[in-house]
Amino acid sequence: MRNVRVWFKKEGTAKYISHLDLNRNMLRIIHMAKLPIWYTEGFNPHPFITFALPLSLGFSGLRESMDFKLLDDEMDLNEVKDRLNKCLPGGITVYDVTEQVMKPARITYALFNLKLSCDTVNTDELYEKVRELFAMDEIMMDKKSKAGIKEVDLKENICKFDIKNCESYVNIDVILPAGSMTNVNPKLIVDALKKFFDIEADFEIVRVDIYNENVESFV
Amino acid sequence: MYSKEVERILLKVQKPGRYVGGELNSVIKDKKDIDVRFAFCFPDVYEVGMSHLGMKILYSQFNTVPYIWCERVFAPWIDMEELMIERNIPLYGLESGDPITDFDFIGFTLQYELSYTNVLNMLKLAKIPIKSKDRPELKNIVVAGGPCACNPEPLAEFIDIFFIGEGEEVDLEVIELYRKFRAENKSKKEFLIAASQIQGVYVPALYNVEYNNDGTIKSFTPEEGAPAKITKRLMMNLDEVFYPDNFVVPTIEIIHDRAVEEIFRGCIRGCRFCQAGFLYRPVREKSVATIDKQCRELCKNTGYDEVSLSSLSSSDYSRVVELLTQLNKWSNEEKVSISLPSLRVDGFTDDIMSKIKTVRKSGLTFAPEAGSQRLRNVINKNVFEDELLQTCDTAFGGGWSKVKLYFMIGLPTETLDDVAEIAALGQKVVDTYYRNPNKQKGRAVSVTVSASSFVPKPFTPFQWEPQDTIPQLHEKQQHLKKSITTKKITYNYHEADTSFLEAVFARGDRKLCKVMEIACQNGFHFDGWDDCFSLDAWMKLFEQCGIDTAFYANRRRSFDELLPWDHIDYGVTKEFLISECKKAYEAATTPNCRQKCSNCGVGKWKGGICVEKRQSMV
Ligand code: SF4
Repeated sequence: MRNVRVWFKKEGTAKYISHLDLNRNMLRIIHMAKLPIWYTEGFNPHPFITFALPLSLGFSGLRESMDFKLLDDEMDLNEVKDRLNKCLPGGITVYDVTEQVMKPARITYALFNLKLSCDTVNTDELYEKVRELFAMDEIMMDKKSKAGIKEVDLKENICKFDIKNCESYVNIDVILPAGSMTNVNPKLIVDALKKFFDIEADFEIVRVDIYNENVESFV
Repeated sequence: MYSKEVERILLKVQKPGRYVGGELNSVIKDKKDIDVRFAFCFPDVYEVGMSHLGMKILYSQFNTVPYIWCERVFAPWIDMEELMIERNIPLYGLESGDPITDFDFIGFTLQYELSYTNVLNMLKLAKIPIKSKDRPELKNIVVAGGPCACNPEPLAEFIDIFFIGEGEEVDLEVIELYRKFRAENKSKKEFLIAASQIQGVYVPALYNVEYNNDGTIKSFTPEEGAPAKITKRLMMNLDEVFYPDNFVVPTIEIIHDRAVEEIFRGCIRGCRFCQAGFLYRPVREKSVATIDKQCRELCKNTGYDEVSLSSLSSSDYSRVVELLTQLNKWSNEEKVSISLPSLRVDGFTDDIMSKIKTVRKSGLTFAPEAGSQRLRNVINKNVFEDELLQTCDTAFGGGWSKVKLYFMIGLPTETLDDVAEIAALGQKVVDTYYRNPNKQKGRAVSVTVSASSFVPKPFTPFQWEPQDTIPQLHEKQQHLKKSITTKKITYNYHEADTSFLEAVFARGDRKLCKVMEIACQNGFHFDGWDDCFSLDAWMKLFEQCGIDTAFYANRRRSFDELLPWDHIDYGVTKEFLISECKKAYEAATTPNCRQKCSNCGVGKWKGGICVEKRQSMV
């Protein structure tokens, strides 16, 4: 028995698959790919899979991962990749299958890319407003969680950022806390523009990478 | 692939996965190679439409033809609809994202009457004129099929072509004709006239209706050489008929998320209220070998771990035990479970019980339909109380403790005593549980009694019957509620309001087209959903149009009245329906097709069960 980690991209139409549905789909896909993996025991056995870090509905993800136990020690990991790719819906592609090096519990940050544009303000103005937002001393925002609504200072959670004016859109790369301890949703940046500048921006959000506590890529 | 404009609203709506396509097995073609584009529209939300077998069959079949590209279209839910209107985004096909106006055919499947307003609303959202006569060109041909096409009249002014009966052949013949006529630069009128000559095609614009002073139909006259009777199409050999080897697999959760294998068409039973039982005659079965092969293919190409064996009454499949034994040979090893929906009370034997596991999850469901034996005889539901109790006993002994029982109220000849007997029957099921020595220790029994309201439907022996008025139905519902005295029984009933509207549409005529048109202008949609349905709004509309709803729903029609659907021929003769109706009044039953042929008329096609040898019945 071998612990493996399947790396995949989730983009295009697959952005609209919720985490719950992704889990359900993956169970079916593994069954379809006839992968020899470990099933839970009990009344209704199903493949045992876990995901490193759920991705919000509507975001693309470039380094998504799913773990399971492969029963066949000899099986070529490339074959695992190929078999899964034949069964996946549009927008999800497996690009690598590896050993599980780090434990998902070590995930601490994630790098997001945001592309913002707006019908009502031109890109130059939007760019200025975004810079203004990031220059504020604090960016107090309501954050929804299971426990209810809580105020967080988005500003103090931004670890690193870069803002570019790309003519037709404003490009933001930002590292935010992610993982089992604290999670800050990059959508809060879009919400903050609305709250402080009354700008309703269209956005595309991509989770580009996932990091451990030392800002090293999760592997 | 959806457009940029659609992308911008997707995160503002519930379940955006409904609107994006891209699922496993969805078909993408290169427009360069395509001659005919077909928009297959299901007039309800994605989760409902994607659960529908007929759509899966025709979608796959059309797409096997190289020059046709068939795409799926569903009714956008109200949040999406609002944004689409606000941002001027027309309705689009899920595969290409192209607007529906780009399509040659716009095809609707009519599964229930309450989806009619969605049909018109979808045309409106597509920016296509809803009335046939306002679409003069040979493009955007609006076609419709499915069970409700058996009385097409309430939609006669909107639909260019109705398909009567099973679509596998006739749809393709019409598409081929269109392709030819378009190449020859013919007009839409010429195309429709030629199409009307194909068996199973009904072009309502080619018929002229005249009415008597009392509102009933005086005459129905074909024009331009269209046939006086439109005869249904049907596929006789189900082993040869097209069946998909894969389904589009949704990524979001839908109502029935599993592989579905059709095991036979038709029903041997002849329950007198059941429209499907008459429309799909005769019974035609697939062989065990075909079903086995198709189930394996479907599981392989979809990854589903559940196959549902579908038909109107699955335990009536003549070799059901042989079939389950064959399927079990591979299904256990492949971790696939087999489910057998629509089980009859007398079809649930130990043998079947041991071969299907999934029933356990949801509990057992039976449909005695009526509480008293007299009334069950009236409706020809040949189920006996001792059979039902015996079956429940078997199930309780096998570990089940949940039973759902379906009934109808408002059936012809029904009295309040018949209604009270529903409660009594539920009570007997509860008592059976407590008497069973092998029941699950320490678990309480749960019996659900669901009562829907009877809707008289065309092509049934009850097509002449009045529906109970809403106050009458309410009285019966309350009486049933009062008659249930134990907490072990949960009582559910369906709103009488929707059944009433269903009754108006089901037996409506062309005079209702005006109401439909105004309903569409006023934004009516999703009548099958509590969120949107309002009987008050409908009643105002009927009044405004001078339509007496009781004329359609609550009037007893005479056997010699010319009915709005009398020009449509499903094989079952009117004489047979009349004799069945008269037998109902005497509470006399009719044997099922496997026991004895009752000469319903369908035998003229010399196929299926009508030509099978019958074993002498026990
Ligand atoms: S002709 Fe006889 S066997 Fe055939 S469907 Fe009718 S009643 Fe049944």
